Order: sequence, then C-alpha cells, then structure tokens
Amino acid sequence: MDDADSHQIKNQIKRNRMKILVLNCGSSSIKYQLFTMTNRSVIAKGGVEKLGMKGSFLKHVRQDGQVVVFEGEIMDHKVGIEYILGVLTSEKHGCLKSLDEIQAVGHRVVHGGERFNSSVLLTDDVLAEITKCIDIAPLHNPPNLKGIRAMEELIPGIPQVGVFDTAFHQTMEPKAYMYGIPYVLYKKYGIRRYGFHGTSHRFVTKRACELLGVDYNTQKIISCHLGNGASVAAVKNGKSVDTSMGFTPIEGLIMGTRCGDLDVGVVHFIMEKEEIGIKSASTLFNKNAGMLGISGVSSDMREIETAKTNGNARAALALDIYNYKVKKYIGSYVAAMGGLDILIMTGGIGENADTTREGICSELDCLGISLDYAKNKGFRSEGIISTSDSKVKILVVPTDEELVIALDTEEIVRSLKKF
Amino acid sequence: MSGEVIYEPIEEFGLIKKDRSKTLFSKIGIVGCGLVGQNIARVASFYGIEVVFIEINEDKIREAYKNIERLLDERIEHWGITQGEKRASLSRITGTLDYNDLKGCDFVIEAIRAIDRGGKIKERKEIFHKIEAVVDRDCIIATNSTTIVITELSSDLIYRDRCVSLHFFVNSQEARIVEVVRGLYTTEKSYQKVCKFVTLINRKIVPVQESAGLVSVRMFVVVLNEACEILMEGISTIDDVDQTMKIGLGMRLGVFEVADKMGLDKIIRWMENIYNEFGDIRYKPNPYLRKLVRAKHLGIESGEGFYKYDTNGKKIVQPSGRC
Repeated sequence: MDDADSHQIKNQIKRNRMKILVLNCGSSSIKYQLFTMTNRSVIAKGGVEKLGMKGSFLKHVRQDGQVVVFEGEIMDHKVGIEYILGVLTSEKHGCLKSLDEIQAVGHRVVHGGERFNSSVLLTDDVLAEITKCIDIAPLHNPPNLKGIRAMEELIPGIPQVGVFDTAFHQTMEPKAYMYGIPYVLYKKYGIRRYGFHGTSHRFVTKRACELLGVDYNTQKIISCHLGNGASVAAVKNGKSVDTSMGFTPIEGLIMGTRCGDLDVGVVHFIMEKEEIGIKSASTLFNKNAGMLGISGVSSDMREIETAKTNGNARAALALDIYNYKVKKYIGSYVAAMGGLDILIMTGGIGENADTTREGICSELDCLGISLDYAKNKGFRSEGIISTSDSKVKILVVPTDEELVIALDTEEIVRSLKKF
Repeated sequence: MSGEVIYEPIEEFGLIKKDRSKTLFSKIGIVGCGLVGQNIARVASFYGIEVVFIEINEDKIREAYKNIERLLDERIEHWGITQGEKRASLSRITGTLDYNDLKGCDFVIEAIRAIDRGGKIKERKEIFHKIEAVVDRDCIIATNSTTIVITELSSDLIYRDRCVSLHFFVNSQEARIVEVVRGLYTTEKSYQKVCKFVTLINRKIVPVQESAGLVSVRMFVVVLNEACEILMEGISTIDDVDQTMKIGLGMRLGVFEVADKMGLDKIIRWMENIYNEFGDIRYKPNPYLRKLVRAKHLGIESGEGFYKYDTNGKKIVQPSGRC
C-alpha cells in the first residue's frame, strides 16, 4: 500500500465510518457479512453457494431484510467475490457507493497450525505459512487462500486479516495436545491436537464474563459450542487449556454426521469388513456417522427430537448418546481445570435446544452445576439459566464469529496505522 | 424479511463488465445407456450436471434407470455417498427416445452397447449425424469407443473439429481417470472444453494420441491373452494367476476378475479391432477366451465367465481352475 492509500484509509477511519467485509471461503461456498464498525452492525450479508457447480447462485440479504438471489455461473472464488463486490456496489441492491468504502477484509482461516496464536495481518510471509498448513488442512485452507488471493487481485493493497479457528487453542500445553503416537510423527507432520471453533469459544467465554461482571483472567470456564460441528473447550484464566476437537474437526463429541471419538481399531475393522478404501471410510465417518448414522433419521437435532417424540427408539438413543458425551467432556474438563465457575452453551443447538441443555446438565449437581429447569425451558436468548444458588453459573451465549473477525480486523488495521 | 425473494441474473452484477462465455457443462447427453452410459450418467449427475440419455425403447429406458439406481445403492452400501446425494443425482437424469431432447446439451457422448454396434462403424456415424442435427454449434460430440478411431467417426460431420473420444473405466466404478483422445480434426478449443468437463466430474485426464486400444485396452488385452496362455499351458490356475497379480504385483483385482467384470464378448471385439488395426498376433483373441464366449460364459453379466457368480454378481464358488 502506498502513502496515498494509507492516507485515504486514515481519513476514513478518522471519520469513524470504517466498514469491514468478513469473508468465510469454503470449498464450494463463500459467506460474507459487511460490518459498519461505528455501531458494529451488519449492513449486508449473504453467500455464494454451489461454487463451480451447476446451479450456482449468490444469495444476498439487504439491510432492509429483502432477500435477492442472483442466479448464474460462478466458476471460482475470484468470480464469486467479484460478484459479491459487484452486488455490494450496485445501485439496485447495494449499500456502497464505491469499493473504497471497504477499509479492510477479515477472513476466517481454518488452520493456522502451530505458527499462529492470534489473528494477523495477511502479508506474503503469513500467506506462505498458511500455505504450509495445507498439508494438515487439505480441505479447508486452500479455499481460504483462494479467497485471500482473489481479494488482493480485486482490490489491490486492501489490508486483509486472517482470523484462525485454531489460534485460541494454541495456549494448550503439550500434555493436552499430544497424541499417544510416536513423537517423530509429531515432528515430521505436525500431528497433534489443534482444536477448532476457537473464534467462537473466545467470543462466548469473554462475553459470559462481561455479562457476569467477573474478571476473565480468573475464571474457570467450559464452553460448549454445539452446532452442526460441535466442540467443548476448557478455558482457565483466559486461556484455552483443552478442547474436544483434535488434529481434524472429527474428534470429540458426536456431531450431526461426524462420529467423534472412536477407537482406531474400529476404523481398520470396518475398512476390512466393508471392503472400502480411505476415501469411502472418510465419507463414512464424516458424512454417514454421528447423529444421522445412529438415528437413521437426520443430522438435524429438531428432526431427531420430533422422531423421538413419535416413539423412534434410535432417535432417542442418539440423543442420549449426544448428551452423555457432552456430559463426560464437562466432567473431564472440571477435573483438568480443578474446578468450574461458568458453563456456557452456544451454537445452533446450544442456543436453542432446551431439552439438550437439560439432558447435558441434569445430575451434575455434584459438580456444582444446577440448571433452573423452568428458566431453561424455551430459553432462546442471552443469559443465565442456572438456579440462583448454583455454584457454577450456566449461561446461554449466542455466538457471533463474524463479529469477532470484524473486531479483530478493525483492531489490527487500526494498530497498523498507529491511530 | 420484506416481501418475496427477488431473482436476478448474476451476469449484470459483475464488477468487471466482461463477456463471460458459458464454460460450465450444465447439460449433457448420452446416446445408449448400457453399462458405460449408466456409469457416465451416474458420475455426471452426482457432480450436478443434468443428464439426458437416449435409448431405443421404453424397456431399455426403465432398465437403465433401474441399473443407475442400483449403482447408486451400491455406492451407498459401500459408504461412498449418502441417501440425499442419491436422490439429488437421480432427479437430474432423464431418459428419452427422442434425439430432439438433446437440444441444449453442451456435450453428447455416444456410448451404445458393443453388442448393438456389431463392430460396424456405419451405425455410429449415423448416430453422430443425428446428434449433430439437433445440438448447437459449440456442443462437443464424443464417443466412448476405444478401438475405433475418432477421426474416421467424425469425418462425415459438418463440424468435425468438435469430436473427441473419451474412455471411461467402467470396470472399477470409482476409477477416477479418463483417457481423452483428440482426432485429426479436433481443435485445441474443443479438447480444452472436454478436459474441463472431465475435471468437473472429478476425474484425472490421461491425454492419449489417437490409436486403437488407447493405453488401457491395449495393455489389458495383451495381459489377458498371456494369462489365458498360462492356463492353456497348464502352468497355473485361474485363482492362482489372479492371486499373483493381486498380492504379488499389488493390483487391486486379478486379470480374470477384471475380464469377467468387463464382459468377455466385449473384450473379444476389442481384441479383434486392435488385431485388425495392428495385425500383431499379441492382440488376437486367445482360443481359451473364444471357448468361453462360445459357451456363453461372458462374465458377471451372464453369471459365469472365468469364475461363477450369483444373481447379485458376487462370486459364488471357489474358482474352478479349469484347464
């Protein structure tokens, strides 16, 4: 960026009209939100779906709530982002007069490996490091990189910030992140537990402390991010000390279609008996397993709940297993931290499924976790759902990963310009 | 949310106002939906492409649908895809008797059954004509033939530059590789377009010069002939030859297993075509192979080939070890 550019940015920020575009590039999708940082509100959002496939489209939600679907061929990430920028600046459906109004772009980057423990400005060196992580995140990092490079080509010189899913968990100690495999494999390939959903766990744990008016750096917190993917994190004195996802997001809890923790012996056994290769095995454990695989109904919690109500025994079993697994992780993390002050529920399921919260928190009074069953029933906002005398405060905190990315981006861009 | 969803064509909202020529394959046609056609339909529809296939009567259309569904069920049984993906795939496949339904296709491939071809090039030239009569100028016309050269097949067309030959491997459903052959008239543009299609359906491209048998079939027939020779000489048994290939040489299937999967009658026709082309004795069908075909032991499809199979196509008995 040259001086003229930086001068322009400085002026716009001074006028306090900073707008930040947050991008989440997946292999066949791009999600975006445009924030105005004055009041941290979203002025436009949407996403490209079926990227590079037939039937690709861009769904845009205007500030007035109107949904516009743009249909047509969207070949790759660059074309997708180009259309997103085109729509944002279009007279008909846009909210920007020109692209200059976007001062920075924040990207969700899935894997930062061991190199990144916080969000960073995306320089050539950083991109090279992210490229190195492709080996351990072959599905996620390449599309992230494509998005970053496309943006650089479309708005040359715009400051871009990478916010890593793994960064928050980099405070884990070796005893928590090492697997029981030959050490040489850790050295050779970086095989260890990294953990994911870091942006969400960081946001909700901080937010919970804000709500309770307690010091983030003195609390023992367990955060349950229960969505389509799900993980539990143990956060002690403001630092992640353990989390349920590992080298890849398949470890830990039972998820919508992922199996979670599994005896590796089972993998070999199934591959041999079913005569399948690595690819099919991966589909089995990632797409056909979890809640879908057990219940045979769906990967969607609501549909499984309905099936259970209608007397479906396998749906009931799936829900039992789900809750039991979260419960076990909570117990083990209380042990790992030597106590617990706050228990947080977040993610689509954590924020909305009261029966799941009940199933998880029931009979945990021995750990000082006492759910206010009446309050929990139908609770779908932000707040405390534990009894007034519960030693551990149980909270529901809606997560907002995009906002975290926007805030991190704002902070980094501001510090960069030394305002 | 206020009101109904608004739909807009995306092209008008590009940042860079430039002509985006249509490059994605949105609809493809398959003429002849036997084993090969069914597999192409299954793979293309899985990757989001609409598929129209032409058959010669309603029964054949129903049979093709049934088999495609079975192929998808097999993939589900082997954990390759999910039920939802199967439903989505099937919804994209349409069978028809009318060549006019190929209108709007970006790519049409001729994949008529070998048995219907009778080795004659005339029928297939006719099919190429019928295709050309209904499709756009830009549409690629391809054949799945491995032993008949595309230059000859395309020589009577108006626009010969759009013809290529593609060879899908149907013996192993998930063999993610396609041999792509350009003929004498094929332009670089057409060739690149086909490569794009192959990439879209997640297959690796093996560029091959126009030559009967390409790489795969030419290699295979020689190996099979040699294996039959070994049987005839009494050197080893069917099972032991396959075991040697699998365990000793690290192949996924033995040569006789592959042959049974492909269909022995089809293999003989390949051999004859290649033999006619090159005149080398190596390609001449081995007498043992001929004997099996005469006895209607054509492989999995007929219930018996080198091995015996049950109605589900599973090997039933230990190999007979004939010879």
